[in-house]
Amino acid sequence: MAETTKDESAQKGATNGEQPKKGKEPLSVSRRTLCIGVGSTVALLGLGALRYVGHNPLCRPPGGQDEARLVSACIRCERCYEVCPHKVIVPAHVEDGLLGMRSPMLSFDAGYCDFCQQANGGVPLCCEVCPTEALRLPEGATAQNTVIGLAVIDQWQCLAYRETGCRECYDACCEARETPAIELTNDASTPRPVVIAENCNGCGACEAACISLSAGSIAEGAQARAIVVKPLASL
Amino acid sequence: MKLSKLRTIIPVAVFIVLCIGLIGGIGFGTLSGFGWDTISALCPLGALTTMIATKTVLPRAVVSFVIMAALVFVLGRAFCGWVCPVPVLDRIRNFFRSPKKRKAIKEAKQHEMVSIAREELGCGHDCASCSSCKEKRAKLDSRHAVLGGALLSTAIFGFPVFCLVCPVGLTFATVLVFWRLFANGDMTYSVILIPAILVIELVFLRKWCSRFCPLAGLMNLMSRFSKTLKPVIDDTKCLETDKGTPCSRCAIACEADINLRHPEYGERTLADCTRCRACVDACPTHAISMPFVYPKKGKNDGGAQPAPVQIANPVDKSAQ
Repeated sequence: MAETTKDESAQKGATNGEQPKKGKEPLSVSRRTLCIGVGSTVALLGLGALRYVGHNPLCRPPGGQDEARLVSACIRCERCYEVCPHKVIVPAHVEDGLLGMRSPMLSFDAGYCDFCQQANGGVPLCCEVCPTEALRLPEGATAQNTVIGLAVIDQWQCLAYRETGCRECYDACCEARETPAIELTNDASTPRPVVIAENCNGCGACEAACISLSAGSIAEGAQARAIVVKPLASL
Repeated sequence: MKLSKLRTIIPVAVFIVLCIGLIGGIGFGTLSGFGWDTISALCPLGALTTMIATKTVLPRAVVSFVIMAALVFVLGRAFCGWVCPVPVLDRIRNFFRSPKKRKAIKEAKQHEMVSIAREELGCGHDCASCSSCKEKRAKLDSRHAVLGGALLSTAIFGFPVFCLVCPVGLTFATVLVFWRLFANGDMTYSVILIPAILVIELVFLRKWCSRFCPLAGLMNLMSRFSKTLKPVIDDTKCLETDKGTPCSRCAIACEADINLRHPEYGERTLADCTRCRACVDACPTHAISMPFVYPKKGKNDGGAQPAPVQIANPVDKSAQ
């Protein structure tokens, strides 16, 4: 079908020009232009309406805490993914909403965000390279006062709550943070980790260290690690 | 022949290098935001929409936009012909067509162009008074409507809407999601959706580059002022003006749907020239060249030769 319309328009186009000699044909080419123009404008407006559909809250990289700004400015150029020294920035899934698909989010499977303390002296590289300032830390923002999310412990999955004495997250937190956000309580037979919410900035060190998923039979049926950083908006 | 291979090899090489950088984390960004460290050359459409969406003037976006405009002014849409991966995808798509269909498409175009040439050569008009070989003035076309729609939607909803479906970005995203699927076990429906959008755009929106792409539309707006490196026919050598033989191989070869010999009949004008040199290669008499500066309008009777047909006055054809 497309072929015939093309041929038609080509033939008509032949008599259509700056000075239409026969005067009755010039519609054809502009009709296609009109269809494409109207069709794609409607489609793009429809896509734009996704803004109102929104997406699930996500843990954003440093400087992306202003969600509205990030959505407005991010052009999905993927520079932040590749510059991240710990590879914790990943493209968001479509499952979290079409609007946010491919926008940067943090995944602490293999590492955590130290605000590039080692790689760049505490200035996050993702903010530095972001060409559209979608990731931009406000003046004076540091790893101490920027909150990416909050660590939440699933007591059903946590090995420490099963009297195993596991303290991986506690150790990781003490190493990553000046003021640790996890403390060990002594009211059970073995120490159990508890998150101190006001100290937690969601850096993900605990989640990266958590072994509940890899620790074989105990973790049966678990979908995520026992300690997970959740975006503030989802709590 | 060699050049057309080069036009596939260069975009593929650029794409592979950028993808390796993207995956390995040593990269130069993607074509949407190309650069090193804090220096970035942004996609001009992305730069424009992100500034509209955030209602702020971003220095890096402005600088990128100006640099891109300058490049387009000199090189036209050379990005489309030499760097963009989308025309390569289109070639891959063509590869999957049945040989019969491929042949049919090729012959249809050939037939169309040659009949235009035949009709024009036999039109019987005095060429000096006939307007049909003058270059068509570049008008707005469907891509500008798509561009307008993208900007309108961005202004209303406040985010770069077109970036969600931009085939250039999606090409890189496809590599990234597949890499993450196999290297990190990152299972997501994006692995299906992202290539699906790409396929839809290439298969169902025929001639994406010359009818839909708003980036091409944006470049076209600047490229129409370009006077450099555009193809020019030497009428003393051209088969049609010299011998009166219908040929139009330049029009058949053109990937941007320009009819260099009979500009009135091309779907697009020279403002869309991608400097791909396909016409230069296709010309059987080597009559087409790409001088650095496009010859000025005006009479150049110099090389006029008495031609066997009545169409042979070369003045109008080389002019403009």
